[in-house]
Amino acid sequence: MSVNDKVILLVEDNPDDEALAIRALKRNHISNEIVVAHDGVEALEYLFGTGVYAGRDLRFKPAVVLLDLKLPRIDGIEVLRRLREDENNRLLPVVVLTTSSEEKDVLDSYSLGCNSYIRKPVDFLQFSEAVRQLGMYWLLMNEPPPI
Amino acid sequence: MNPQILARLRDLCRDEAAFEQIRQILADEVQHLDQEVNQANSRVEQQKALFSVIARLREPLDLEKIFKATATEVRQLLKADRVGMFRFYPNLGWDDGEFVSEDVDQAFPSAIAQKIHDHCFGDQFAVHYQQGRIQAVADIYNYGLSDCHIEILAQYQVRANLVVPLLQGQNLWGLLCIHQCRAPREWQATEIEFATQIASHLGVALQHAELLADLKEEVLERQQAEQTVQALNQGLQRAIIELQTVNKELEAFSYSVSHDLRAPLRSIDGFSQALLEDYHDHLDVTGQDYLRRIRAATQQMGQLIDDLLNLSRLMRTEMLLQPVDLSLLASEICTELQQSQPERQVEFVLQAGLLAQGDLRLLRVMLVNLLNNAWKFTSKHTQARIELGATVQENGIRVYFVRDDGAGFDMTYANKLFGPFQRLHSMKDFPGNGVGLATVQRIVYRHGGRVWAEGAVEQGATFYFTLVAEEAGV
Repeated sequence: MSVNDKVILLVEDNPDDEALAIRALKRNHISNEIVVAHDGVEALEYLFGTGVYAGRDLRFKPAVVLLDLKLPRIDGIEVLRRLREDENNRLLPVVVLTTSSEEKDVLDSYSLGCNSYIRKPVDFLQFSEAVRQLGMYWLLMNEPPPI
Repeated sequence: MNPQILARLRDLCRDEAAFEQIRQILADEVQHLDQEVNQANSRVEQQKALFSVIARLREPLDLEKIFKATATEVRQLLKADRVGMFRFYPNLGWDDGEFVSEDVDQAFPSAIAQKIHDHCFGDQFAVHYQQGRIQAVADIYNYGLSDCHIEILAQYQVRANLVVPLLQGQNLWGLLCIHQCRAPREWQATEIEFATQIASHLGVALQHAELLADLKEEVLERQQAEQTVQALNQGLQRAIIELQTVNKELEAFSYSVSHDLRAPLRSIDGFSQALLEDYHDHLDVTGQDYLRRIRAATQQMGQLIDDLLNLSRLMRTEMLLQPVDLSLLASEICTELQQSQPERQVEFVLQAGLLAQGDLRLLRVMLVNLLNNAWKFTSKHTQARIELGATVQENGIRVYFVRDDGAGFDMTYANKLFGPFQRLHSMKDFPGNGVGLATVQRIVYRHGGRVWAEGAVEQGATFYFTLVAEEAGV
């Protein structure tokens, strides 16, 4: 399975942000499949193979999860907590990609074991650059955990 | 006399006349002895009564009980018809008072709780009583008492009276009155002495009562003071809780601002950029310019939101007070400024060893803002001078200042300097977001100090600040 086969799980409830994130990924020639979960519940269903994703082959893990914090139903912090508690997702690369840089959010995210914390800039060009580097790093440079 | 003794004496005396003489002598002697024994007995009784009065004083009884028991005892012992404690009303001269305790024979009226106004007693008598005078009247109608005095005594059917002052320390508190109602009575020296001793011990009780009253008052005052302190504390607690609530709300608010206000800006900027990229050929130069303006404005607004958040974060973070070397901080900041634009000719004059008690992080932010300002507003001059120093106010409080010789400002607008997003120069001349001095002001306020500025157009500006609270009214 090559790098490009791996999906990117984008957890994002704001359709504009979803569109812009996908645009930024495409713009930077990242051709991996992008799965979008629109809230925490959907994200967990995908990763645990439950609900609408019941029966999904859990051997296929995303290369990276791009996780927004402010989400309907289950928020990003809670998603992160449940992933880290789960034996199969403990080591899954999770990048928090969110609007706020409130100290509490940053601290909570790192305490729960996020791999990186990125604040979405207002400037789309900066955002696009951040996404490019993200893709470069997590899809090409990073050696994923052997799970 | 004992008949057996007399029979034996008669046997011993052959002479009837001699026996009669001896009998008479013995009879006289025995009578004398009897009298002495009686007197001794009554003295013993009096002593017993005194002891019981003294013993009672040691017990934690109230005055009323001491008076009552003493009156009863004294009346029994002296076989008087009435014994009463009369009290002068304090602060009303010596004309008015009332009996506060008594023990009285059932045959005679009670004198208790009847207000007595004795206008013929007055100051003159009081002075004598105060000096320890005792009045022993065998018959009130035969002692030269004034008519009004006799009238008052007659109300209570008094025929003879023995009056001893009751002193509370040096003050005449009242009178111990012993009345004989059924008949006149010659008061014996031992009786007068006994009454005097009783009165002096009651005086001790009065003093104890006064001390106790003082003590109780003090205790009460302390309790009240404690209650006041408690009430104040509760008020403070409430204020603290209110403040905490407000703080939490503020945090929630800025959290929401941080998340929700920036998100739409990203959309505006992002899709403007998408338009520029994807529909470039459909837009003429003006259209492209408009989109760039939209993007610039959204980015500026993003910056403003960030500045606001930083400002509110400054006010929310906890302060850690410690000695801070402002000179050292300033020197680090100035080095950074010089490195940022090495070509500029700026002379830094930093007074050494300026120590202040404050929060290191906040004071650094404050100095960064002040020195950045000085650096920025001297940028149009080929040569500039930036100074940090301190003077001491009349009230002994140290005033720090940051001075530059740059663009300065019009003092007319000095009151606008520290408001957030207030700017006195055009964006084109001196870019900035207008939160620098607002930040400085908040940091100074958090340290209890104040900040103000002096300046003139093209003659530089001086920013003064203190870092301790000044007394109100100074």
